Amino acid sequence: MVTTAPDTLIRTNLDFLRRHPPFDRMEAEALHFLGERLATAFYPADSEILMPEDGPPSFFYIVYRGKVQARQVGGVAVTEYATLTLGPGEGFPIGAISAGRPSTNGYLAVEDTYCFQLPAADFLHLQEISPSFQLFCTRYIASLLNQSREQLQIQFSQRAAEQQTMTTPLSSLIKKAPVFVPPGLSTRTALEKMVEAGVGCMAVAGDDDKPVGVLTQSDILKRIVLPGFDLARPIADVMTAPPHTLGCNASAYDAALEMATHGVRHILVVDAEDKLKGVISERDLFALQRIGLRQIRSSIESAADVQALQRASQDIRQLALNLLAQGIGAEQLTQFISALNDALTRRIIELNLDRHDLYGVEYAWLAFGSEGRHEQTLSTDQDNGIIYVLPEWADKEPLKLRLLEFARDVNNDLASCGFPLCTGNIMASNPDLCLTIDEWRERFGTWIREPHPEALLNATIFFDFRVLFGDEKLAYRLRHWLLSMTGGNPAFLKAMATNALDVSPPLGKIRDFVTDDDPKYPGTIDLKKFGARLFVDAARVLALRTGVEATSTVQRLRQGGGRIGMPAEELAAMADGFHFIQLLRLRHQHLDTDHGAPGDNRVKPDDLNELDRRILKEAFRQARKIQLRLKLDYQI
Amino acid sequence: MSWLSRLLPSSGPGLSPEQQASLATITRHRSPDLGRSHFETRYVVVNAESRPMDGGGQRLIGVGAVAINRGLLHPAESFRAELLTAPADALLGLLHFIARAPLVVYNAPFNQGILERGFEQNLGSVPALEWLDLMVIMPSLYPERIAGQASMDAWLSAFGIDRPDRHDAVLEALAVAQLHQVALARAKAQGLNTPQDLLESQTSRKWLRGS
Repeated sequence: MVTTAPDTLIRTNLDFLRRHPPFDRMEAEALHFLGERLATAFYPADSEILMPEDGPPSFFYIVYRGKVQARQVGGVAVTEYATLTLGPGEGFPIGAISAGRPSTNGYLAVEDTYCFQLPAADFLHLQEISPSFQLFCTRYIASLLNQSREQLQIQFSQRAAEQQTMTTPLSSLIKKAPVFVPPGLSTRTALEKMVEAGVGCMAVAGDDDKPVGVLTQSDILKRIVLPGFDLARPIADVMTAPPHTLGCNASAYDAALEMATHGVRHILVVDAEDKLKGVISERDLFALQRIGLRQIRSSIESAADVQALQRASQDIRQLALNLLAQGIGAEQLTQFISALNDALTRRIIELNLDRHDLYGVEYAWLAFGSEGRHEQTLSTDQDNGIIYVLPEWADKEPLKLRLLEFARDVNNDLASCGFPLCTGNIMASNPDLCLTIDEWRERFGTWIREPHPEALLNATIFFDFRVLFGDEKLAYRLRHWLLSMTGGNPAFLKAMATNALDVSPPLGKIRDFVTDDDPKYPGTIDLKKFGARLFVDAARVLALRTGVEATSTVQRLRQGGGRIGMPAEELAAMADGFHFIQLLRLRHQHLDTDHGAPGDNRVKPDDLNELDRRILKEAFRQARKIQLRLKLDYQI
Repeated sequence: MSWLSRLLPSSGPGLSPEQQASLATITRHRSPDLGRSHFETRYVVVNAESRPMDGGGQRLIGVGAVAINRGLLHPAESFRAELLTAPADALLGLLHFIARAPLVVYNAPFNQGILERGFEQNLGSVPALEWLDLMVIMPSLYPERIAGQASMDAWLSAFGIDRPDRHDAVLEALAVAQLHQVALARAKAQGLNTPQDLLESQTSRKWLRGS
């Protein structure tokens, strides 16, 4: 049977669509509906494809080959705010065609470009028959995010396997190929091999790979060193035989039981043919039990000293890595990290209170900056301070000294638990940051009255304060006072808004992204400075303007944006954009630098997969949207 | 017209009454206005598939065609036929699909030659159609890309068009059609707004080259 010509061409269309989200997961029937209705048009470089003055668009376009630039047209257009490049697989104008209104953007081909065109009526029908496409159109960024998360899950399923429970099969716990020697080998050579491989347990197996015995580090002292065993004799004479073995499908729990029953620390894992597959040690199992959320939390709360907390702090990192690899979203992930870090900090404070008597003192330990916003990544240093009340009858100097000594110990303990001392000395042990409530008001008030650049910079750090330990009421009073000062102060808000607009999203006019031209970091984008900060700064202005008490960026956006009448879907898209950038930062810090190197925030867009690049682009577009709002509101 | 047709009986291949009726409806198609703009015109890109014959020369075994209607390529507007079993019906089908639209080929001496021979042999006559040859037109439209005569592959890669599967006449026609879309964009920019303009430009170009 000969394929008809239309079938051949439809298949060509489908082959293309299947390579690009969201079409790659579109329902088969809907995809076919789309594939047979797409016409192809050619647009030479520098020609217009769709302009606002064309009225409601007749077609939905999908870039097939080439590059299309979306330009915002109209009064508020400022070049760097107004362009976005679309590449193969990307569609436009989703909003305008869904709403049947003229496009707000002009679309131009910046290269010779082929576009697929779908008549508007078919576009609307496609939304009806394809739930996935409808979701894509209504929650563009959210649906891409889901997809990216799933991809990540697949990509890191290997690592995800490390976050396991005691029901995990031993086969997925084995980290490396087994090290073993033949029974006839001299004990000396066997011991040398043990040292060389860095293993605490040497398996002995025959030519058929079937284990016949085992020698562990603890055996060496008792059986070799003390009795003066002749090292020239074969290892078979000194090994434990037969060894304890379990099949690959046995669970971690089985292994723990076996170890407990027989008082051994290693189990040899064999396959169905009894061939040696690997060695599981007691330590491997400990790691499993330790790195659960609840376990970490209880180990923090019951920690007796800083050493125990140091271990917990490493576990927090490991947990974060595992959760990341499982594709957990940035919002939950940062909440986990934040909750555990809070618990850790509280425990450090409690431990120090045993040595520093602050009984009867009204005070609170404050977190600033990203910690204050619940948005810590794992490479953030300390930003903290103290707020306290000076009783009328008390002398200020001695009380402050006591607080500072206490703070210094806490700061040092935090540092030893993986929160580096702040290079800018934004720490509670700094006398400038251990202040009474009146002094804090005085400090904040000066910045608000005279918003010079340094004052504004301070505001971006200190206005995000939050209580980690102590008297919540103190912070509550300070916050209320602060919001009453800023809410009715357009001049200060405008200065903050201007400051927030200092940096614009790194979206390119021709290329997708503008990367850093610093020769030290070619092709990278600093996702803190050119990503997260854009949302954080804009959200802070919203919060200060509308009296939102929350410090987290997303809460500020949702509540503050809602109070000035921004639609919930728009705010949700912005939150998604922010979360994605946070996720990329976390992923970069954990996965790409998981050899313990200090994570930075520089991500190479070229290293991202196509999907993530598109989401990143969309996330930046969301940043641009909220910046645009600030520009309009404050006439900047 | 060709040496081959002279050797064959000139009385025609003996079409059935239905086939003759079908041929007659084709001739009643209104001939298109070649003075309208490209984007109001329906072009048909045709691509012949052939096989070497034992005695030398090529034998037409199939044809693929894709229309560019008002500048757009649409999967429904395409045609494929095999000529091995019922060549007359296949070619009648092609002529119905063409509907007297101006034709576009890459390499007319081959495509036009072999198709016209096919029409003559199987339908007894060669329909009068307008043929545009991108092999001739492209270098005059895009001299900055490729100055002289070049292979189809060279033009496809110059515009990043995927190389088609050589054994599928429709996919090859699709590639030529995408190339023709590129040609139309530049033709318009050069003031060659209609099929008529392109045909005239092609004639002068051929004349200049002395072919």
